[in-house]
Order: sequence, then structure tokens, then C-alpha cells
Amino acid sequence: MKPLAIVVFALFAVSMNAGVCEAAIQGRTGTEFDLVARAGHITTGDGDSILMWGYAVGNGLMQYPGPTLIVNEGDLITVRLKNELSEPVSIIFPGQDGVLAIGGNSGLLTREAPPDGATVVTYTFVASQPGTYMYHSGTRVDFQVEMGLTGALIVRPSSGANRAYSHPQTSFDREYLFVLSEIDPTIHELVELGRRSEVDMSRYFPVLWFLNGRTSPDTMADDGAPWLPHQPYGCLPRLHPGEIILTRVIGGGRDLHPFHPHGNHLRIIGENGRLLESAPGAGPDLSYSDFTLTVVPGSTYDALFTWTGEKLGWDIYGHGPGDPLQPNEYAPDHGKPLPVQLPEKQNLMFGNHYSGSPFLGAFGDLPPGTGGMNASGGLFFMWHSHTEKEIVNNDIFPGGMMTMLIVEPPAVRIP
Amino acid sequence: MKLRAERRVSHKWTALLLLGAVLAQAEIRVQCPGDTDGDAVVDQPISGRQIKCMHLSAGDGFANMADGKLQYIFSFANLTGTPVGDAMMAGMLAAEFPAPLITLKEGEEFYLTVTNVGMTRRPDLFDGHSVHFHGFPNASAVFDGVPDASAVPVMAASFTYYYNIVEPGTYMYHCHVEATEHMQMGMLGNLYVQPKQNDLADGTILGAHVHRNPDGAGPLGDRYVYNDGDGSTRYDVEFPIQMSSFDPAFHEASLQVQPLPFAMMRDKYAMLNGRGYPDTINPSPIPNSETGGFGQKMNSRVSAVRGQKILLRLSNLSVTAFFTLTSSGLPMKVVGTGARLLRGPDGKDLYYETNSVTLGGGEAADVIVDSSSLQPGTYFLYTSNLNFLSNDGEDFGGMMTEVVIQ
Repeated sequence: MKPLAIVVFALFAVSMNAGVCEAAIQGRTGTEFDLVARAGHITTGDGDSILMWGYAVGNGLMQYPGPTLIVNEGDLITVRLKNELSEPVSIIFPGQDGVLAIGGNSGLLTREAPPDGATVVTYTFVASQPGTYMYHSGTRVDFQVEMGLTGALIVRPSSGANRAYSHPQTSFDREYLFVLSEIDPTIHELVELGRRSEVDMSRYFPVLWFLNGRTSPDTMADDGAPWLPHQPYGCLPRLHPGEIILTRVIGGGRDLHPFHPHGNHLRIIGENGRLLESAPGAGPDLSYSDFTLTVVPGSTYDALFTWTGEKLGWDIYGHGPGDPLQPNEYAPDHGKPLPVQLPEKQNLMFGNHYSGSPFLGAFGDLPPGTGGMNASGGLFFMWHSHTEKEIVNNDIFPGGMMTMLIVEPPAVRIP
Repeated sequence: MKLRAERRVSHKWTALLLLGAVLAQAEIRVQCPGDTDGDAVVDQPISGRQIKCMHLSAGDGFANMADGKLQYIFSFANLTGTPVGDAMMAGMLAAEFPAPLITLKEGEEFYLTVTNVGMTRRPDLFDGHSVHFHGFPNASAVFDGVPDASAVPVMAASFTYYYNIVEPGTYMYHCHVEATEHMQMGMLGNLYVQPKQNDLADGTILGAHVHRNPDGAGPLGDRYVYNDGDGSTRYDVEFPIQMSSFDPAFHEASLQVQPLPFAMMRDKYAMLNGRGYPDTINPSPIPNSETGGFGQKMNSRVSAVRGQKILLRLSNLSVTAFFTLTSSGLPMKVVGTGARLLRGPDGKDLYYETNSVTLGGGEAADVIVDSSSLQPGTYFLYTSNLNFLSNDGEDFGGMMTEVVIQ
């Protein structure tokens, strides 16, 4: 691990002690949204500061990705856009039918807001189908999405809370968003230096990779972490054993990414805002399980994930035979000892997310200076791009498109 | 050859001296119930338990690419059957690429010991090593191999992983320490699990299929990819084929103790089971030109008798690229992905027929090729990422192998 990464990890540790994590997807709810395209600088795990263009809410800061718009099925949605950048921008809503654009100037894909900071373009559509979507600029899409003009759109079904789609088999206990993207900083540097005309997208070579607009380890910091004012969305999924989380995954850049959830398989129940079902009302009967999800640019995926530690052949809680069962514990393994002896401490290198114990909710003896990022005795599982060159921040390992999922002991409250 | 051998030994002794301080405390230890002498071979089976053990070293070595270029690598070597006292000497500079094949059966308890033998040619490194059993369901953190979330063995120490094998399918394994570096350097291997359905009694009815098992656990019985209940994943011959790729600039920088090009990584050698064509069809282990060790043991030549069903256990562990494998006329049926039967939750069949399979890093697919419609002859399985039909500057070869139907 490089010294810089250590510093960043240390910052993260401080934040975790003081912080409040949020289990719900952060975003803006409602039916009317006022967005302004403006510029700002994001920070990346290699210590860089990069000019981005993004959608801000009203007078707020530019943010990357743009505000997650969370709406309800059947609602008439209105998005008003103003533009404080240096060239026309717009918004398109892939997957939404009958988007009406009014105002501004006509563009190739939709009506555009001129860079005057005042003209308003209004986009309206009925959010007719529940699911996970994205929105992004429809102007010079190759360049402007790279600059950051993109965001997530979530349409909740009218049939009930905590469902991905109308069908009850799409129910979840918690949900998390994963917007996968990448950038080539040389493009952003040229824009910042006023050399926009020299940008050549054909020479695109990304070296920074993001989850929800952050590079690891910032992905694991809180939503709204104050030192990331332009990157408000964290990406730290947590669950208790037996709970079901819905992972909403968006291919938000231009490359494919193989997204690998350690810990267990994903069951993919929806793609591109449609339930994987053979007939309306059938439920996710065409859903499938996989240990790595191919995330295609422009596509979205809704997948369910759960974890109990069942059939490990040993008791993940470290129970003795007479101890009571934990909620959702796999009873046949109850009280079974760990089948191997772990090496003595001097034979091991310890990770900072390791509690020192193999058992959920337990702590073990750790050498000084290790284990500092595991406050609860939870089990940490890395969720990351399995194109492993993408879990770096430029040439510094580790970083990039990577975070942790935490299986928390039943007694630990997840907000 | 004599000079080479001497140099190899001298390097090993140098490394041993360097490791001396560590050795004083560290412990090489194989844990394997029923193994009485520490070589990871079960000598006295335990009634009621199916125990499988392996002992892998993790360290460095060399491999030659199909154009002859020597690459410095990190990987695992198979020490199963080696006396534990010989593990360091046998494991050093012995890295295999790909890492040794791991085959398991549903119902087995798998005790996998990894001994970190250090990187002899990089004595400045003090890296740990681990095994990530990629795709293992309901995993524990302690045996997941992620160094951030667990503990991994230091040099001259061992760690024994325990896996209760309950889900058949095609997985893979790799080191997860400094993953971008150690995986680019070659710590990648095939791993698959065969289903219990293979062990059913002769004559068991599986839907429209009657299971054959005339010789108990012997070679004559039917074999399946999954517990399909209907024989639809039955196959006759199986071939694990793992895609991977190397950036020679990265391997050279590693050997020369230079800063490593992480984000700037550009792979130039695309391989199947650690070789580019035409080495992919060479049936023999390939020695490397540095130590003479035979670290490239696997070929990927597929052969079958017309009428047989061929199972291709495809996986990709490239750290840079998705690859598409296509064929010259082989009918492919995908019956599983990610070590799961391709079926919906209510049993709906999601198998599909295709002529190509695209996999990113960490993805796997089970593909059955029914050769009954094929004329005898040689067919090709190759990447349609056509620039990778090359071995670096050699405009020929790369990610391709032959499928021979007799």
C-alpha cells in the first residue's frame, strides 16, 4: 500500500468513528426538479483534483454523479434545466417514453439549454415503468457524459414500498446504488486549461474508476462526507444475516465492467428497467444467479443479494453447542467448531477491516495498528470491478471501482 | 543446463538466507485430517467424511510466451505429496502458470494449505499471499482471501483454508493480495466442482434420462455439470479453459524493481490456460528458459470422438479485458454461468445456444458442445477480439486453440 493510500484510509477511519451511515439510497424525491449544469472539482484517491461538469440542484454545488432522482410509478415528472457552463447542454432520459422538451434551442437529440445561466428547458414525462434508469446529457454525449453530466433515476413501483418492481418477489429490506463510471483526466485538464478544442475523444484512455462518483477508499465514506462536497453519494452496502438487499447497478460510463460481489451470488431480477419475467405478472421467473455481473455501458441491473453463512461447515458466530441461535442462523452448523487452526500472529499480515476473529460479531487479538476499520465485528466483503486494473487510482493501488459490503452482527443497528 | 541449475540453487540459498530471520519464527504447517505425515495426502480416511487436501506454494517463477519471450511471474505451485520439510525448497521459483488445477466434488471438505515461499527474485518484497475461491457461496471473510478483510500468511508461513463444498460448477481462484499486481503477475487458476448427481446408482431415473453408473465412482458412469434432475447437462469429456492476459512491460518492470504501470497496463499476450497459440495445443509441459522448470503444465487442446458431448469450463481472469471466444462451427450450448445452473427460480430452462461466449474478468460459463453433428476434423476456438490473435509483436497466435473431432 502506498503512503498516500494509507493517509486516505486513515481519513476514512476518522470519518467512520464520527459518521452516520445511511441504508437508503440518497437522492431527491418528488415530481419536479430544478437542475443547473455547472462546473466544480472532484477529488480522487490519488490526491488529484479534477474539473467536472455536473447537474446541481438549484443553487447547490455541481455534483458527480448528478442528483439521484427518486420518483413514483405513474407520476408526471418535470425536470427544469439551466446551464452555467460554456456550451449548450441538455438531458435525455433513456428508457422513458414520450419525453416532452420545451424551451431553449433545438438540438440533435433533444432541446438544449444555451450557456446563459438563465434560459430554462423543461422536460416532462410520465414515469410509467418502475425500475432503475439513468439520465445524461443529450448534447455532445461522448464528451459531456465524460465531463460528468449524468445521473441515476429510480422509479418506485406503485404496488408497495421496498419493492424493485410490482411483484412481491422483488421485495427487499435495504437497497443500494452502484453507478459505475470511469474518466480520462487529460480531457478534463484540457478543458480546465481552456483548450477544449484540443480534446480528442478517440484518444480516450481512462485511468480513474468510480462507484457513485467516488474512487475507493472514498466509496466507503459517509453519504455527504464534508470533504467530498461534489461527490455526495457513498457506496457502503451493509446488511444483517438473512436480509435481502436490492443492488441497483448502472453502467454509467463507456466501458464494460465485470462487477464482482464477494460473499455470495447476485440474483439478477431486472435489466434496463424491466423485470426478467416470461409474462406480465409472472414474477422474476427468468432471473438468474451469477458471481460476477457484466455491466454494459448504458444498461442498468436490479439484483437481489443475501447472506447467511449457511453450510460453511462451522458456526460463523463461534457458538458453543448450548448457545441460543442468532436470527437467520443456519441451524445445522450451530456449535460446530472452526475446522482449522489459524496461524499464530507472527505468521500473519492483518487487514484493517479484519476484527481479529473469524466469527461474526467477535473480536480477536490483533497486533497494534491493525483492524482499526472494523468497529462492529462485522464481516467485510469486497465488491469491485474484476477488471482489476480498475481498482487503482491512476497508478496507485488500491482504489478505484471498489468498496466493501459489511455483514453486520444482528445486534448492530444499520440506519 | 548445468550452469543454470547451479544458479538456481544459489538463488535459492540466497533467498533462504534472506528469509532466515523470518524462518526463526514462522511456521510451515499442513492441516489435513487423515494425513499422518504432513504431505497433504490423506493416509487414513476418516469414516463419514470426504476430505480433500492440497498444499500450494505461493511465490515467483518464470514462464515463456508463445513468441519465446520470458516473463517473470508470481503464482502457485502444487506441493501436494511433497514432505512438509521440503516445502520451501520445492516451492521457491516453482510458480506454475496457470496455477495448479483444482478439481473438487460436491460433498467434499477441502483443506487448502498455502505456504508463502517468498519471491526469490524480488527479495525487497515482503508480500503476503492468499487464495480467493472466486464465487464460493455464502463465504466467510476469514477464508475469502481478501487481505483487507482477513489475515494472510507472511513469507515462510502457511495458512490452511477450509471450504465445505456444496455447490457444483465452474469457479476460479486467484491471489487477492495487491490484487492488481499479483493477478497481472499470474496468480490465477482453474477450479471446478463436480455434482453429486454423478454418484447416483446405476439406472436412476432422471426425467427422460436414465443415469448410468456401472462402475461406482469409476470413469464409465454419466457425468453432469450440475444436479439438473433431467440429464440435460450430461457430458462425456471436460476441458477447463481459462482466459488470461499479460502486459510484458508490467512483468519487466516487476523483475527490474521499477514502478509498476497499474492504470497504464496494456496487455499484449492473450492466452488460454497460460499459453498463446500454438503452445495451446502442445501436449507437453513447457519449460521456462530461465530456470528450466516446467511451470506451464496445462494445454488447452480439446479432443473428442464424434458423438461425444464436450464440456468447456470457460473462465476469464484477465485483469484488463473482456474476451469473446468464438468457434469455427462448433454448436455451443450454455447451461451454466457463475457456477449456477441456468434456470429460473421456478425451474424454467434458460439454456441458450450460441456461437460465441463473452466473459469479463471473474466470469465463468459452462458450455456443452455436442459433436454428433460435426464432421471429423480440426476446429478452432479463438477470440473474436481479433487483435489478440497475436503474441505481442508476432502477428499470429494468441488466444486460440484447436478442437479435434475424431
